[in-house]
This record gives sequence, C-alpha cells and structure tokens, in this order.
Amino acid sequence: MRRALAIVAATGGVLALLAGSPYPLDVQRLATAVAREDDHVTAVELAAWLRAGKHRLRVVDVRTPPEFAIYHIPGAENVPIESLTAVPFPAEDTVVLYSEVGIHGAQAWVFLRALGHRRVYFLRNGLHEWLDDVMSPTIAEGAPADAQAAFDRVAELSRFFGGMPRKLTGRADTSEDALRARRRGC
Amino acid sequence: MIALAIGIAFGFCLERAGLGDSRKLAGQFYFTDFTVLKVMFSAIVTAALGAFWLARLGVLDLAGVYVPETYLLPQLAGGLLFGAGFVAAGLCPGTSCVAAASGHGDGLMVVLGMFVGVVVTGLAFAPLRHFYDSTARGPLTFPQLLHVPYGAVVFAVVALALATFAAAERWERCA
Repeated sequence: MRRALAIVAATGGVLALLAGSPYPLDVQRLATAVAREDDHVTAVELAAWLRAGKHRLRVVDVRTPPEFAIYHIPGAENVPIESLTAVPFPAEDTVVLYSEVGIHGAQAWVFLRALGHRRVYFLRNGLHEWLDDVMSPTIAEGAPADAQAAFDRVAELSRFFGGMPRKLTGRADTSEDALRARRRGC
Repeated sequence: MIALAIGIAFGFCLERAGLGDSRKLAGQFYFTDFTVLKVMFSAIVTAALGAFWLARLGVLDLAGVYVPETYLLPQLAGGLLFGAGFVAAGLCPGTSCVAAASGHGDGLMVVLGMFVGVVVTGLAFAPLRHFYDSTARGPLTFPQLLHVPYGAVVFAVVALALATFAAAERWERCA
C-alpha cells in the first residue's frame, strides 16, 4: 500500500514538471512576452505574412460590424471584442488581432492568452498603422540608400494590397501631435 | 459547518495516526519515532499535488487560495517558541486538542496553557506590535521566491518527501 502511494506521488510529481503552469493566466509568461515584444506584429510584418499566405493565419478585426464594413484589412474576419469568447480558435491557428489604434487589439490579446491560446499577436498600432505603413508608405526625397531600399520593399508590399507609396517632396509632419490626430479611437 | 467538518476530519486523522500520544510525538525529537515527520510530510505532499493538479485541471482557482503573509523575524521567533513548547509538552496545538478529546490529562493541560498564552499575548500585544509588524515580506511562495516553475517546486517537494520517508524508515529499522 505504501509503495503504491509512493508511486502515485512520484508520478504526480514528475508529471507536474511537464504539466505547465497551474494558473490559467500565467502573468510572468505574459510579462516576458511583452518585454520581448513577442506579443505584437507590425503592419509591414502582417502584410508580408498575408502576401506569403502564412499557414493557418487568421486576421481578426475586433471593432464593431459597422466599422468593419467601412474598411478592414484584406482577408480579415470581424469578431467584435465582446464576442471573442464565443468564437473557437484552434491551437494551430496563428491569430493577429487588430482594432482602430491597437488598444482593444492588445486587450483582446490578453483575453485570448487567458483562454490558453499561444499563437496570438496584435497589430501594434492597429488599423491606422496598416493605413500609414502599408497602404500609404512614404519616404522623404533624398533619403539614405538603406532607407530607400527598405522603402522599396514596403512599396512592393503596398502595391500588392492596392496601396499608394509616395515620395515626399516637402518636409513630412511626423510630430506626435500629427500622429495623435491621425490615430484616434481604440 | 464546512470548517467544523474539516476540523473533525483533521482531528480524526491525527488520532488515527497516533498523534494524540505525547510520548509518540516526543519520540520525534529523540529520533526514535518518525511518525510526526511522516504524517506532516504526507500532508504537505498531498496538499502540494492536490492543489497543483486540481488547479491544472481547472477545478481549483489558485488565485483564490489565501497565502499568509511572511514576517521574517516575528515568524522566526514564533517558530522557535513554538518548537520549544512542542518539545517541552510533547504536543502541538492540534495534537493537544486530540489528546484532550481522547482523555489524556497532559493534552488538557496543554490546551489550558495555550489559552493562557493567547490571553497573555493579547494583553501584552501593544508593546509587541512594532515587532509583530516588522520585516514584512508579503505573501511569498517558492515559485516566486526562487523564480522556478510551480511544477518544479511540486516535484522537488515530492522527491524530498520520498527520500526523507525512505531515510526515516531505514533509521527506525536500525534504531
């Protein structure tokens, strides 16, 4: 009897080593993912994934249906943030969440991680980053060669999605105020 | 009602393990009887494995489990005082109640002594207050303290318990 109990305890102990965290929300793991910036993708990275046809990629727009109807990233599906728990996300799917400027997307990321999904990312600055960096990328005239090469790669992606890469002849307004004015919402 | 049922079950288990007998408990300190160590370590292993696996299977929410706060120096002093009382009386608070309930006079005296101690501590609490609240470290757990996964701590506790049980059994056979 004692030997049997010892075997049960030993088995439970060894399996505990492999079973992962007993907390449904492993805050330390989430904090590490955020610190390593493994929690999000940039708009250009997402565009590259979409064009390459990344296996089992799901782009999820967590805004409201009317906002989704006005414009959304090509191939995206609309799952309003309050409906996230009602939609199944198989473990094999890579899910990229986005909202207007990223806040709701980041919150949705926490929700899905809390539900146990591992391959989840959010689009860093949301739809506005997509519009700025993929659909309307710009470069200043006379930019250094490496910046020009990077722009050429983005411009190619942009044209794939019907975007309009532009070369700025004047001085671009990239101030924080200008960015904030462009990026309103959640 | 739940607390009453748990208390009765706890007392029953202590009595069945023979821990209502102060000579058996004193044997722990003379290294002639390791029942206390085995019972207590069995309880720790059961709780560690039970809490881990119930939480892992989604039955228990560990965030809702109360973790007492750590006060280093007061708890160290309290532990030494507790240990000295344990050795002198041959009983601890739980086992003294079991001993008293099963008709042992020494158990009754220890229970009375505990009540006197509680009253004296209450009366002398004001000057002790500063020490009582000192060296606060908050609720600490081994996974947080050692920065290791919860499962690794459970494994270490189980391994340590099994090794200790084996050593205690061997010691008892040789003694």
